[in-house]
Amino acid sequence: MPSHVMSRKASDNEYLHKDFHGALSAGIEYLHTHYGEEAVRDYLREFTRKYYAPLKRAIRQRGLAALKAHFETMYTRERARFRVHLTRDELVISVSACPAITHMKSHGYPVARLFHETTRTVNETLCEGTPFQAELTEYDLETGRSVQRFFRRPR
Amino acid sequence: MISCTEFIPAYSELFRYLEKRDGKEAVIGFWHYLSDNFLGNLQETVKKEGLQGCWTYWSRTLSEEAADFKMELDTKKGIFKGTLRRCPSKGRLLKLKHFKAYPDYCGHCDVLYRRVLEPLGFDFYLDMSECDRATCRFYVLRKEDARKSRTESEVRKRRRERRAKIPALTP
Repeated sequence: MPSHVMSRKASDNEYLHKDFHGALSAGIEYLHTHYGEEAVRDYLREFTRKYYAPLKRAIRQRGLAALKAHFETMYTRERARFRVHLTRDELVISVSACPAITHMKSHGYPVARLFHETTRTVNETLCEGTPFQAELTEYDLETGRSVQRFFRRPR
Repeated sequence: MISCTEFIPAYSELFRYLEKRDGKEAVIGFWHYLSDNFLGNLQETVKKEGLQGCWTYWSRTLSEEAADFKMELDTKKGIFKGTLRRCPSKGRLLKLKHFKAYPDYCGHCDVLYRRVLEPLGFDFYLDMSECDRATCRFYVLRKEDARKSRTESEVRKRRRERRAKIPALTP
């Protein structure tokens, strides 16, 4: 007879394993060290094009409202402090501290030198093939505090 | 930022990217790197608590991953068994209709955990025969107990073989 037994269903817990931020950071650092900076961006672009294909489609169909919904869901789930400002042609997201960096720093995981590319490159790639453009207006490497701007591409 | 809830597809795509760049060896090389640089908490916990450390480590991670699982720890026999009735990671990948997962996605578990646990005096076995249904079982055995059970089973096997040979030798 085993001395300890534990059985859980998926519905018993919320899916939020923040240590995964540390694993992604390790992956980014590995790519950077072994293949160079451009490989990090190249990988993030490939991932974004494939995984976020439905979101890219939604941006083309519904515009910035689709992006707003995506970021609100993500930052709420990650318990971030953030503000969102949406106008007809512009979306600005201000995040007081990146929840991934906060978690990594408080748990002793190293933050990859190019970790900010998970914001900049991913946002830029989300806008590819849409009428919009992304700009990482502010980013603090220490805390991940950021201002992310999406705006209609000039014609 | 990529949400931690979207990490699994990002991880799978990283394996695919590495394989495209430098073949399967590059993927294994990354798994070794990740094991050495990311699983320090498993290593520390098992160093400190022994087999019980597996229970401590996986009870937190599998709960945070909202897995459908069962864990059994038998400290007398020196066995820790984890049954993933529905692996949250593979389960998520299977659900994504628009995203193709890396074919050997589950292989990382075998490499990562084995590399941490074996130097600490444990054997790690992963049964991946039902991975395509997001189900797997893994076992961590204290090496001395694993050796003992292996020896006992070998003794039984030899006895069976000897018994089987007896009629053939009898005229």
